[in-house]
Amino acid sequence: MIYNELTRRYFESPTHVGELSGAGVFSGEAGSRDQGVWVRFDLQAGTGTLLTARFLAFGCPHTIAIASWLASLAAGKPLDAALPESISDLRARFALPVEKMGRLLVIEDAWLAAATAAIDYRHCAPTSEGPLSSVNQD
Amino acid sequence: MNPAAFPVYLDYASTTPVDAGVAARMAEILLSQKEFGNPASVSHDYGDVANALVEEAREQVAAAVGSTAAQVIWTSGATEANNLALFGTVQYYRERGRHIITARTEHKAVLDPCRELERRGWAVTYLKPDGEGLLDPAQLAGALRKDTVLVSIMHVNNEIGVVQDIGAISSICRPHGAWLHVDAAQSVGKCPVDFANLGIDLMSLSAHKAYGPKGVGALVVSPRVHLSPLQFGGGQERAFRAGTVATHQVVGMGLAFKLASSMSSTETARIAQLQRRLWEGLTRIGGVLRNGSVAHAVPHLLNVSFDGVEGESLLAAVRPHLAVSTGSACTSSLAEPSYVLRALGRSDRLSEASLRFGLGRPTREGDIDAAVAIVSREVVRLRQIAGGYPKGWGAKLSNVPSAAPGRTAAP
Repeated sequence: MIYNELTRRYFESPTHVGELSGAGVFSGEAGSRDQGVWVRFDLQAGTGTLLTARFLAFGCPHTIAIASWLASLAAGKPLDAALPESISDLRARFALPVEKMGRLLVIEDAWLAAATAAIDYRHCAPTSEGPLSSVNQD
Repeated sequence: MNPAAFPVYLDYASTTPVDAGVAARMAEILLSQKEFGNPASVSHDYGDVANALVEEAREQVAAAVGSTAAQVIWTSGATEANNLALFGTVQYYRERGRHIITARTEHKAVLDPCRELERRGWAVTYLKPDGEGLLDPAQLAGALRKDTVLVSIMHVNNEIGVVQDIGAISSICRPHGAWLHVDAAQSVGKCPVDFANLGIDLMSLSAHKAYGPKGVGALVVSPRVHLSPLQFGGGQERAFRAGTVATHQVVGMGLAFKLASSMSSTETARIAQLQRRLWEGLTRIGGVLRNGSVAHAVPHLLNVSFDGVEGESLLAAVRPHLAVSTGSACTSSLAEPSYVLRALGRSDRLSEASLRFGLGRPTREGDIDAAVAIVSREVVRLRQIAGGYPKGWGAKLSNVPSAAPGRTAAP
């Protein structure tokens, strides 16, 4: 298996590994270790934007590298139900073979689970910041 | 790859470097103006000189494996020997019956010919070994049929090093009248091989697994067995294998086998110590499982599964530093778990997350310590990325020293 330079870099020295705790942290996970790919994201949300993210991953080098890359992009991104970078851009950036597309979808599922939890929470729970009309501003 | 930091080589079950003395003699023959003759030429001294070299090599191979020289047929390697043994015998004895018995843990060079024979109308029974990789001779006895013509069982397994009880298997085949073929490509130099006393009818050998050259091997054939040749054109090798014999290649194999059998017992004891050191080092990581029997195996191989890490990542992580084989065969960009480990009942995950360490003549303690350090570091790192093993172990594991205390620190 040949990995491109970015995949190798984020596989060998991934950033944003771990978990978050405290206020405004939402988790999402997808896949299973038995199936060979499992990803978890912890997103910390501020007012309408993401403050930071952490990931954990059991999977191939591509899975680890892409999860790390996405977590590194989180800070300052709007809190919405989408990856910080599109599936097709990620696929090209990491030269992901077509056979591994399923793994990218697991990564997306984990991210969306965390992001959706954050969005739902903002909608349902009024805070001192008042109504969160900005949450879904696109 | 940076040549200054060439990885530690622990894949001697795949292939070995040619012994320097063997290579020197082969080069001498290639450069000689007297030893280049066709060994089949009987009309001049050039042929006689080459023929004498070939026959001396035949004696050396025979002496190393307990056969007579006349029983040794040169081939291009163990794969050709396996193909000749399987297709050659079943073709010749096709009127006697069309059933073959082999095992699920055989090398592809036996399994693929068996698959092809199934397509051509033969029936094949694939015996399932126990969880340690050992075959039960009673299971073989139960699988034998009236029309069984050939049983093909390997001696030393190439993935897990398990040694089958060939004597027991042969004593079941003999009275039944089924020929026994043994793939002994991994055996020479690792454990005693005795063609005559074990009651083997056909046996495949390879030079390059025993510090000889690639491109040469042999099929040892008992005089009681007939074969239909697979290639025609000159009648060499008792007409079983036509084609000019490559003098320098077979001389290399003969010398390599002579050397391997002369140093086998001291070398195996040394390798056993290194293998113990490797296994002790790896067990300190925690969550490691040894694949295959410990009691009935050669020490030159150690196959280990690492729980809590993913197979492709494990290989990618160790690959820049350590040359080993993995339990996942990358046929496409998706890894496929080892069929040998699956036959032992290991899960797909554990079969994939396995490394095969092959120890060899150049291996020293420093190589073992370096391998342990590299694998420990990477397994711990991957488990931490995966959230610890099991959850919460990550922190504890990071405190484990990457090299054994009191030993030379490895890079």
